[in-house]
Amino acid sequence: MEGDERVIRAVNLTKRYGELVAVDHVSFEVKKGEIFGFLGPNGAGKTTTVRMLSTLTRIDEGEAHVNGYNVMTERLKVKESIGVVQDVSNLYDELTVEENLNFLAELYGAPKASVDSLIKDFNLPRKQKFGRLSSGYKRRTAIVAALIHDPPVLFMDEPTVALDVHSAKLVREMILSLNKEGRTIFLTTHNMGEAEKLPHRIAIINRGRIVAVGKRSEIRGLLGSGIRVRFKVEPISNKLLRRLEEYSPSFDEDMIAVEVQDVDSFLEEFYSLREELGFRVLHMETQLPSIEDVFLELTEESEEPQTCAVSCGGCPI
Amino acid sequence: MRMLAIIRKELKEYMLKPGSISWGLIFPLVFTLSFIVRFGEVDHLAPGLVSISALFATTSFVASSLIFERRLKTFERLLLAPIRYGEIILAKILVGALFGTMVSLITLLIVANFLRYGIDRPVLTLLIIIIANFTFSAFGVYLSLAVRNPINVMSYLNLLRLPMIFTGGAIAPLSLYPKWFITAGLVTPLTYSVECLRFSILNYYDIIPFAYSVLLLSIMGMLFFVLSVRTLKKLY
Repeated sequence: MEGDERVIRAVNLTKRYGELVAVDHVSFEVKKGEIFGFLGPNGAGKTTTVRMLSTLTRIDEGEAHVNGYNVMTERLKVKESIGVVQDVSNLYDELTVEENLNFLAELYGAPKASVDSLIKDFNLPRKQKFGRLSSGYKRRTAIVAALIHDPPVLFMDEPTVALDVHSAKLVREMILSLNKEGRTIFLTTHNMGEAEKLPHRIAIINRGRIVAVGKRSEIRGLLGSGIRVRFKVEPISNKLLRRLEEYSPSFDEDMIAVEVQDVDSFLEEFYSLREELGFRVLHMETQLPSIEDVFLELTEESEEPQTCAVSCGGCPI
Repeated sequence: MRMLAIIRKELKEYMLKPGSISWGLIFPLVFTLSFIVRFGEVDHLAPGLVSISALFATTSFVASSLIFERRLKTFERLLLAPIRYGEIILAKILVGALFGTMVSLITLLIVANFLRYGIDRPVLTLLIIIIANFTFSAFGVYLSLAVRNPINVMSYLNLLRLPMIFTGGAIAPLSLYPKWFITAGLVTPLTYSVECLRFSILNYYDIIPFAYSVLLLSIMGMLFFVLSVRTLKKLY
């Protein structure tokens, strides 16, 4: 270990598939104990990044350290210290839940007692064949499978994709409770609801490049438009609208909406206007830009599909 | 023992998969029985029939396993575990060889009932069957990794192993064929398996002396093992 708080460190991480640069000189750090959200549209390079960090895909350029181990030169050490939940629930259909977990415990040299306690803790159907489980239970089992050797770092690639609302909620609760236990979680998603709730910090990747990194509030602040204030007043006079002209007011349903950079100074001006014009304020609200707003703004040019240079029938970008 | 864990898992998961059963068990047994029904005594066909059983059983089993695992990403479970790639490949080869040995022993037991003079060297025959199954299994693993899209693995496999039935001298001795045909036979592992078993079961060889055959069969097994590890490293 390096003795610092950075458990994942990527420097100029690059992956090419022929002509296509799937991940283009990406750099970021993940601190111990945080949930780090890695957001991006389909084909942005999220999965490739996870695959490189978890040793599944060779790094073409740059370097990465996980738990202090070099991903390129200390692959076995990295594997011992991470758990990976891939975007599919990839366990063995003909084996029962218990057999699957016992098999993985043997691979990782974990005690069989850990299998028993995990099955109990996560209420999994021990004797049920994995292939016969619902997709929600499959995903939960896949998450538990990644915990078999009690890794301090978890990579989770779209863990709630293709799950129904209830199963997705359960998985999100699992993620939060795993984080509360002190695990660092690297979470890729394009689910904006998840991005609003789970990560402490977020990186947005688009076309293989990181376009924003920061806390959720910092990410929201990236949108230059500022804070949206909506209010309903009576009566609405032309004089009022003229006085608000500098804020470019617009009508939003039966309310007036303006965008301001400094809410406090706007409110000061607004209430002095109320004194002057004598209108009644029936309703007032402020809206911060959502992560989704920022995400759409930063990734809006990614609509054209990326073409894959290799014809493997499924490149893991 | 992590390799043993992989072997146990493979047998549970893939032994009854359609690919393993149809091409790995039904085809070689039906193929063998059809020759027995047609000719009655199959002394000179025995080495070929046992070798064909080994070839189809091992390659079908490992291909079936790798096709499923690559498509469903369960193979990546193994790659994410702290195990060396060589160990994963060796476990895959050994489990294929185990399945193939079982099928080729069933074939041998059936064929033994239709031999005029019996098996000349039974222990050596068993040893050769094990070596041949290792080599064929390694060949199957290599091909299953080398074909980029796993859906196409079975097609490529049949493209190579069906002609091998002839070029390996399994049905008719290679010495009956023209020189160019023999040359094609010399690059396929089935040829050496047939020649080895011809010596251990019937006490003669066709064109390649026993010592060379067993050596080349073993070398090919090691070569396919090394190639499989290299291909896996290239893939991931």
